[in-house]
Amino acid sequence: MIHVEHLTKFYGDYAAVKDVSFDVDRGQVVGFLGPNGAGKSTTMRMLTGYLTPTSGRASIDGKDVFWDPIAARRKIGYLPESCPLYTEMRVEEYLHFRGGLKGMNRRETVQRSNFVMERCWLKEVRRQLIGTLSKGFRQRVGLADALLANPAVLILDEPTVGLDPTQIIETRKLIKELGADHTVLLSTHILPEVEMTCDSVIIIYQGQVAVQGTLDGVRAIHRANTLEDVFLKITGLMV
Amino acid sequence: MRPTLALIKREFTAYFLSPIAYVVLTVFLLVTGSLFVITLKLLTSDGPRGIEYPMSLMLGEDRFWLVFLFIPPLLTMRLFAEERGSGTLEMLMTSPVRDWQLVFAKYVACYGFYLFMWMPTAVYLPVVMDLKVDWNLSAWTPYSVPFVAGLVLAALGLAMMPIGWISRGALLFIAGALIATAGGYFHYRHDANHLASFTAGIDPYPVLTSYIGILLAGAMFLALGLFVSSLVKSQMVAAIVSLAIGLPFIAGVLLFPYIDASGDTFRVVSSFTVPLHFARDFTRGVLDTRHMMLYVTATMLFLFLTVRSVESRRWR
Repeated sequence: MIHVEHLTKFYGDYAAVKDVSFDVDRGQVVGFLGPNGAGKSTTMRMLTGYLTPTSGRASIDGKDVFWDPIAARRKIGYLPESCPLYTEMRVEEYLHFRGGLKGMNRRETVQRSNFVMERCWLKEVRRQLIGTLSKGFRQRVGLADALLANPAVLILDEPTVGLDPTQIIETRKLIKELGADHTVLLSTHILPEVEMTCDSVIIIYQGQVAVQGTLDGVRAIHRANTLEDVFLKITGLMV
Repeated sequence: MRPTLALIKREFTAYFLSPIAYVVLTVFLLVTGSLFVITLKLLTSDGPRGIEYPMSLMLGEDRFWLVFLFIPPLLTMRLFAEERGSGTLEMLMTSPVRDWQLVFAKYVACYGFYLFMWMPTAVYLPVVMDLKVDWNLSAWTPYSVPFVAGLVLAALGLAMMPIGWISRGALLFIAGALIATAGGYFHYRHDANHLASFTAGIDPYPVLTSYIGILLAGAMFLALGLFVSSLVKSQMVAAIVSLAIGLPFIAGVLLFPYIDASGDTFRVVSSFTVPLHFARDFTRGVLDTRHMMLYVTATMLFLFLTVRSVESRRWR
């Protein structure tokens, strides 16, 4: 579903992502891990077409993100890291705007936005200005927007950052459920979260893929009990 | 088409959600209103005082352009700069729209606001043209009904657009205009008498050319502002830079008070001094294609550069 081949991105002289290749199959929930500055967000931004790779290629469901950007982006629901939203709009109004932007007609937009508001627990704040919402609710609005056009692939950049424990648990549950209909690429710092929600994992370190495979596979290869041990081993903190 | 419409609608309504739009509208109305009062006084005064072209007092004077200098930067500063600052540009650039659609939608929205800003000045026009209407209701035919109804529908459609029903309003406007055209045509074929005949006591064409000039010059300044806004992250910087770039176009000749008016320097500088174009040509009923060409090509250049600048974000 997501196919990445030798993806490289230079910011000036600095290589943020170096020769990254991986594949994500349909219906998988994949954890995308790595320390800060490892290139997770850069990779995700290249997949969503926000940045153009310096070299290499990536495709979403067979659509190249560079040569066929509109078709590729139609297949993606993206939740950026800081979850930027128009603070002066109301939740429902914002989702309707995003629906139009994604090329959905009026009826579809209303139908889908009601559905995603239900799904992301936004019913009670639908008429509220986004600027007045708490961080947790904003995150849900971002998630609702990602789900809006019912895309085949969801790319979520740290969806649980800044949420309270209850919300984190709810969000994880939601992501696990979403894995049934969508292919999910999920970046996070919280390792137990990956063990709870993901089928497989890609660890990226200093711009390169360090480990990829199923959770059990990765643990077995590195002879570790938890993902945390694997992570520490790769990032060199524990020998 | 639908994504572009959704974008235009959001950008246009966003103006009315920020205080800056109301400040601009108020100041603009105050200035044009006071200029209108001055014009009115001169039009009605006795003796040797008076004016030849009412519009040249309203738009040909430095007073107006001093204020106008600030308006386009204030309207365009937020368009891209704000989105880059708050990160929402990432949401736009990862949604399935082309970069030019983004630029086009933002430009149309701010140009729409510019038109909206000028709309109230239409109230001055009957006075400035000394317009008289002679009604001839005996010329009423059955076809006049769709004609009038179409006009009402079109006006309703126009009124709907600023309050958010953009596509519905536009549809109603087009439908109304079509009905009015058909009604008017059949009325004319049936009975060639006019329902209302307008006579202008003062030459109306300088008014028309002034508005054509203002529409084109505004397009240029707005495109310039849009381009600057796409380059920077801060609204303040965007406003100041587009003000600085717009300054030569407005101050132009004023910057060289002792210049020889027959020399080459003057010719070059006056070729891009917008107030001079208005004082000499547009407000006196002259449509000089050199000025119009400058506005149109500059608009296209800046829009092109904006698309490139937005596109280049992805490459960095």
